Amino acid sequence: MTVAAVPSALPAVRRGQAAKVPPTVAVSFAVLAVVLSWSVVPGLFTAQDPVNGVPADKFLRPSTAHLFGTDHLGRDLFTRVVHGTASSVTSALIAVGIGVVVGGLIGLVAGFAGGWVDSVLARLVDVLLAIPSFLLAVVVVSSLGFQTVNAAIATGVSAVGVFARVMRSEVLKTRQAVFVEASYLQGGSRWHILVRHVLPNASRSVLMLAVLQFGLSILVIAGLAFLGYGDPPPASDWGLLIATGKDYPLAAWLVYAPAFVTIATVLSVNRISRWLRKTD
Amino acid sequence: MNRDYAKYALRRVLQAIVVVLLAYVFTFVVISVLPGDPVTNTLRNPQNGFTEEEITRIVSYYGLDRPVHEQLWDSLSRLVVGDLGVSLRSGLPVTRLIGEVVGSTLVLALSALAVALVLAFAIGFGTRYLPKRGGQGLLRAFPALFLSVPNFVVGLVLISVFAFQLGLFRVIDSEGGAATSFAAIALGIPVSAQVAEVLIANLDHEAGQEYAAVARSRGLGRTRLFLRHLLKPSSLPVVTVIALTVGELLGGAVITEQIFGRTGVGSLVERSVTTQDLPVLQAVVTLAAVTFVVVNLVADLLYPLLDPRVRLAGGRSRGKAEVAAP
Repeated sequence: MTVAAVPSALPAVRRGQAAKVPPTVAVSFAVLAVVLSWSVVPGLFTAQDPVNGVPADKFLRPSTAHLFGTDHLGRDLFTRVVHGTASSVTSALIAVGIGVVVGGLIGLVAGFAGGWVDSVLARLVDVLLAIPSFLLAVVVVSSLGFQTVNAAIATGVSAVGVFARVMRSEVLKTRQAVFVEASYLQGGSRWHILVRHVLPNASRSVLMLAVLQFGLSILVIAGLAFLGYGDPPPASDWGLLIATGKDYPLAAWLVYAPAFVTIATVLSVNRISRWLRKTD
Repeated sequence: MNRDYAKYALRRVLQAIVVVLLAYVFTFVVISVLPGDPVTNTLRNPQNGFTEEEITRIVSYYGLDRPVHEQLWDSLSRLVVGDLGVSLRSGLPVTRLIGEVVGSTLVLALSALAVALVLAFAIGFGTRYLPKRGGQGLLRAFPALFLSVPNFVVGLVLISVFAFQLGLFRVIDSEGGAATSFAAIALGIPVSAQVAEVLIANLDHEAGQEYAAVARSRGLGRTRLFLRHLLKPSSLPVVTVIALTVGELLGGAVITEQIFGRTGVGSLVERSVTTQDLPVLQAVVTLAAVTFVVVNLVADLLYPLLDPRVRLAGGRSRGKAEVAAP
């Protein structure tokens, strides 16, 4: 009896949730799922070689054999986009990770400690926010060396300020709440309040910002790769593919195909972040 | 109110000065503390043909062999008198290098801002004018789309369509009026998204207010309602957003100038990065921070004057209490 009841209850719950997801958000999740699986198992989506091409097949227009056409060395562009996904997407994740951890810690300490610690950290955050983020990323990557990992770190550093600001304001908001005061009165330690009340309350805003920054980081890292500050060819980061493609104006697909993938990915991430904000 | 405003202004000015000085220190730390020593790497490059003795002399000439904190103090005390140092690559004063190119970037950034504002207000007006099911939804999706397109893609598409196919401008004449306008469009589109988002949200809020309903019930058309009632209260908060987009304009210029082949601060950054010209990078970052801080300072100081509804922390309510007492 009970065993039978469980499966019948599950689909009802699922259907109820699915009804709340707008179709564009569902499409966005599908796009992200495809992109993520490209980065995890690129071999599943294409059997061709991303590095060595067939010289006789250079500059072929997009067709069923070559979805995105071929480049100046006869390499299948779709294969190169798929194999470049891992580095384009994971570096954006690294960047967001640095932003969340470093920025979150700064914001947490500033908001929780208050006093002079807060003032000092607030000035540091002001500085991070005052330097244009792309310029900051360029300077950091030039100091660390031209590699995709360093571009990711640089992008993360340039995002620290935003995360710190959001985290600090969330902590301040929660700290003044009545239930936190009640917890203090009941003898809750600062550590207990931090872990039990402040972090769970702040996590939602920080998560929404993280999703937004993930899309932004893909763009910044693509920009750095476009300028040649990432891994050199034959790596195939999306920004690098676009940068190489622009040298062959007659083969427009060399720019449009990787650009389309980049835009579709970032658009999906932004749509999901907007949806998260709305359902808050 | 006036004394409170003066206090507020003084505090903000002092904060701004501190932030600028810290930005200079921060860039110095990022460049000199992070691993990798580009200066001696460049000097030791066999192609440059310096002997070990010459390298030591050059390094001590620039004071690079002294402890980091002494170098920092030195460069800070030079910054205060307006000396930004000497380019390692060309040997020219950094202020002169930047002075030569800053005009071009200023023109580009201001035109991009103009493009962004025109676009944002056009979108904002459209969301008020178009019926709910007749394209309004599409228009509302524009800012999100603009935010998702890398600005170098916009630039490449503009060049390929308007320069190569339609021949509206020549890529060679990169500082010409037509080329500058298209570069401004490429740089302005992502910025317009940020302005448009805030503007649309404000317009929606204002349109739901009672005074807007009263105006509508008096038979005011959509255009006049927008121009006479909704526009002013909705665009005041935009001042703050515009100030925040300064960073976007300056950072985006690095890519836009490279694509359109312009010589500006952005291309100077690009060149200095590839040649590891640290004093130039440090100066440009500081300059960008100064611009950002000054523009935001002006916006913050103007805002309470533009919008009388804004209260300065604690100031106004006390004033009210004094008025109410007698």
